[in-house]
Amino acid sequence: MKVSIQAVKQFTKVNLSTSELIQKINSQLGAIEDVIHTNDVYKDARIVKVVSAEKHPAADRLQVTRIDDGGQIKDVERDDDGLVQVVCGAPNVAAGMFAVWLPPRSVVPATYHDDDPFILGARELRGVMSQGMLAAADELAIGTDHEGILEINPGEWKPSELEITPGVLFADVYGLNDTVIDIENKMFTHRPDLFGQLGVAREIAGIQQQPFISPSWYSEAPTFTASKLLSLHQHNDAPEKVPRFMTVAIKGVEVKPSPLWLQCALVAMGSKPINNIVDVTNYIMLITSQPTHAYDYDLLRGNKITARMAATGETLTLLNQKTYTLSDDDIVIADSEGAIGLAGIMGGGNSEVSENTTNIVLEVATFDMYALRKTSMRHGLFTDALTRFNKGQSPRQNDYVMALLIKTILDVSPGEVASDVSDMKADSARQTVHCSAAFINERLGLDLTSNEIARLLTNVEFDVEASSDSINITVPFWRTDISLPEDVVEEVGRLYSFDELPRELPMRSSMPVQKNAFRSVKQGIRSSLTRFGANEVLTYSFVHEKVLTKATQNPALAYKLSNALSPDLQYYRLSITPSLLDKTHMNIKAGYSSFALYEFGKAHMKEMMSDDEPSVPEEVSTVAMIVTDKKATDAAYFMAKRYAQTVLGNASEYQVVPLQEAQDSLGKWQQQLVAPYEPARSAVIRVGDAVIGVVGEFKHAVRSAFKLPQYTAGFEFDMSHLQPTLSTYKPLSKYPEVTQDLSLVVDANTRFDQLYSLVQDTLQKHEDMQCSITPLSVYQATDNTAVKTISFRITALSYTTTLRDKDVTSLLDSVVAAAAEKLNATRG
Amino acid sequence: MGPNELVAAVRKDLLARFESLEKKSDILKAPELKDLFKQIPALEPHERAEFGQKINALSNELKELVASAAAPMQHLTPIDVTAPMDINAALPSFLPAEHGSVHPLMKEVEALSGIFERMGFSIEESREIDDQYHMFDALNFPKDHPARDDYDTFMTVEEDENGERFVAPAHTSTMQNRVLKKYATNLAKGQPIAAVVPDRVFRNEDLDARHEHTFYQVEGVYVHKGVHAGMLIATLQEFLSEYYKKTVEVRTNPFYFPFTEPSFEMALSCPFCEKAGCKVCSFEGWIELLGCGMIHPEVLKAANIDPTEYTGFAWGLGIDRLVMMKNGIEDVRHFESAKLTFLRQFND
Repeated sequence: MKVSIQAVKQFTKVNLSTSELIQKINSQLGAIEDVIHTNDVYKDARIVKVVSAEKHPAADRLQVTRIDDGGQIKDVERDDDGLVQVVCGAPNVAAGMFAVWLPPRSVVPATYHDDDPFILGARELRGVMSQGMLAAADELAIGTDHEGILEINPGEWKPSELEITPGVLFADVYGLNDTVIDIENKMFTHRPDLFGQLGVAREIAGIQQQPFISPSWYSEAPTFTASKLLSLHQHNDAPEKVPRFMTVAIKGVEVKPSPLWLQCALVAMGSKPINNIVDVTNYIMLITSQPTHAYDYDLLRGNKITARMAATGETLTLLNQKTYTLSDDDIVIADSEGAIGLAGIMGGGNSEVSENTTNIVLEVATFDMYALRKTSMRHGLFTDALTRFNKGQSPRQNDYVMALLIKTILDVSPGEVASDVSDMKADSARQTVHCSAAFINERLGLDLTSNEIARLLTNVEFDVEASSDSINITVPFWRTDISLPEDVVEEVGRLYSFDELPRELPMRSSMPVQKNAFRSVKQGIRSSLTRFGANEVLTYSFVHEKVLTKATQNPALAYKLSNALSPDLQYYRLSITPSLLDKTHMNIKAGYSSFALYEFGKAHMKEMMSDDEPSVPEEVSTVAMIVTDKKATDAAYFMAKRYAQTVLGNASEYQVVPLQEAQDSLGKWQQQLVAPYEPARSAVIRVGDAVIGVVGEFKHAVRSAFKLPQYTAGFEFDMSHLQPTLSTYKPLSKYPEVTQDLSLVVDANTRFDQLYSLVQDTLQKHEDMQCSITPLSVYQATDNTAVKTISFRITALSYTTTLRDKDVTSLLDSVVAAAAEKLNATRG
Repeated sequence: MGPNELVAAVRKDLLARFESLEKKSDILKAPELKDLFKQIPALEPHERAEFGQKINALSNELKELVASAAAPMQHLTPIDVTAPMDINAALPSFLPAEHGSVHPLMKEVEALSGIFERMGFSIEESREIDDQYHMFDALNFPKDHPARDDYDTFMTVEEDENGERFVAPAHTSTMQNRVLKKYATNLAKGQPIAAVVPDRVFRNEDLDARHEHTFYQVEGVYVHKGVHAGMLIATLQEFLSEYYKKTVEVRTNPFYFPFTEPSFEMALSCPFCEKAGCKVCSFEGWIELLGCGMIHPEVLKAANIDPTEYTGFAWGLGIDRLVMMKNGIEDVRHFESAKLTFLRQFND
């Protein structure tokens, strides 16, 4: 929202310097995006009198002028009369006129913001010296006209007291010696009134602690005269969505460029002049924040104007020359034959005011903000009018605005009111809010009296009845954002200044904060994986369908975004492993030959809903890791498993079950989790009956799809089953421990865990000793693959006696005997 | 059945058949695939290109499957997964400890959480997929309100039981209603509700060096009797001073959020140049950091808390930017890149 300080000053006094004002606006109104000093742009442009204009001796289209700048510009070549010679190509240049001169060394205003602004000089044109230039409207960035130079009409109204005399600054006369403050629109989402200079001026008064008085055209209810000069059938056929619809016909207008003051005012507020009628409708909007529109009366078929819902399939070509197919949710303005405008957003091409227009219809309407927003989103149309309407313009301001609109149109054009001002509206009462100084003070930490609060609010034209224990507020009609006492708290706090509130920390008791147990688990895993050389990564929560299919997961089970930025980010993840696989090759190519990546993430699957909250999808928090080595050739599985064990913890009771065996009993999500893993070289981890994750190598198809080295393996666990790793302590013994190694030869198909648990069970039977088992090796001779030798180191300890070797030997003998009996093992 | 569904149905059949085929390359000769190609000429011209692309994609997918099935099966012989090491191999040793690293964003999340925990806030996690009730309704976003546009929210094709699409939360406030409810019993005991939610959020925003569609935010809430807006400012100022280990100034500007009233944005004096102006603060001396405000009475009501008895404040602070400023990281996209070149610089 561009705020012109000159415009604001029409409505209220500004007692602050520009920099103080900017700071105050920032802290009490809204964040400032940009400050534009239009004066910088026009600082050298001077109004001059063309004293003579004669044909250029060597060029038909050029004239050599002598201009009077009142002697204002130094260091410029002058003739004996003190006049400056400027060559001009404009057909309208003539002796006696006032024009705008851009002297040498000045910047052409239209190029001021360019990377390479155009700086004028003194140069010869076809052999005649020319000092700077006489400017056309487009060169001054106040219009598109390049047909001729801008002519200053000294008799026309202008916003300053200055006389049009040779050498006076153009910007000073036409109010372009301005500072324009651009406030972020987002600040005003709930403030329809702040999209007009009037509303901002009111706030600027309020934050300067001075009372604001709305101009009479905004405070004294207007009366309209009846007229039937033109026939106009005025209707509102959609009162549900169009709370107020005012129209009037004006006869005998003359469409032409606006007077200069109006053009300059529009430029200062960030708009651009088109023609007097359109300019006035825009000007009124920029001042009041109420969008208005003008139609060519003679183009309205059946002399009719109405607001109605569009028919489904109805088409409409708008001013942007694009044709839109409408639905019955769109509000249109229509004549007797069809739509002539998309309500509140853009007028139609078939009713546009043009050079040939002589009669017009003016509209000041209020539309349902939600309906307009939907229409705008559906058609991708965003206009200044929409920006204002979709904040919820007050339907109580239309008559004031209509009166000002009519008056201003008739100021810039001949014409007369030619129909009744029709006004179709629903009654709406002004909002009242009851609160108290105590309520407000409690929420702001202040100690204001009712009267002090009342003063802050009446400064911005709230009606306030204040007593010691209550404050009753009647909200001004332009404020559609205030209905709760808390809204009044905001108003008071802002006008008082939030930065001035007493800053005190809340008091708290010494009650300890409960630790988040899940986060402690996560933190434990993070520190152990990192300690073992793995790198934590973050990857997107959304993946390309290909990442899922490469991992042989089923994309049909994944939640899919309907408005993804690109196909790369289309699907929610079924598990985290595929994302890590997707990042592996890239890092190998970057020169890392051996690494481990891990990530904490959330897995989702369609129809898997949360147990605690069945209306939302279940989120399985998992930790996934991959480890890879470009050169290694042995089984990466065992590396991944070692890492997995650090995650699973020593204390947890878990089982490692070959994936091949577990595959048929997996749940639907677990099936997707294990999908990329090679069944012959992976295991699932089970806690009780629950499968909590998988560790293993990847299927051949997955490896080749992701270009993974042969030595790649990984794991992924559902973290809800994981617990913090706790150390377990055994008291130290006074007696030394005894260590012996034991090798057992078993059938090649005997699983390690079968032997291990047998050894463990047997050792546990000897209650007089505490034994620990460390696997040493699994050996298989190349010439005998029918058997393998598994070696353990067994350490025995007693708390009651010094163990002798023979005690341990008999212990191991019992193990060998059990292994021979159960697994047909022999001692190696 | 439309052309797209047809391709999808054929794909499903063929993938199922592929699994069971002895000779995998036979799948490329499937008559269904040929039939699909034959249908192209019969389609409306504007449908042909998309349909053609879909069939080609399917055909390529099958070719890839056949190719990977045909490649020699290296090293996929079964292994004893219950063993700690492979046959004739040593117990694998971990990677060198000095290569390990914690993600810089996660490190910061822990640092921030640690400060808030010391200030008496519990830590909660957020969701990556949620319903519109929690993202919008419980936060006092009126239906169809333009404020919903400000959060260009990713939505799913799938709908919840109310026929509304699920959303990828655009701010961790999606947890606010749950957090308020979870700790509401504190109030009766005379204790405040004090919690922060540092987690991942999503905005439908094009990527560039300064904008990510996926980023981290720490949302906080504090509710008790007699909580006022000055406490909000003081609490965040104290937090920021602790975080930067120096006294920082803060200033506010009014803002609009549907879930707070009043609402502000807060800026802090640049801790890197003491307001003198530097590259980090774009020579402004101030850094816009967070949105905050007093919790809207409707939001408290939605969590069954009486707004006439209790008041509270809430804020949302972007974490990525803090980390970028602290480390001089030039491109926000590095965070989710999984590049070791980036990550291993944070191995302290």
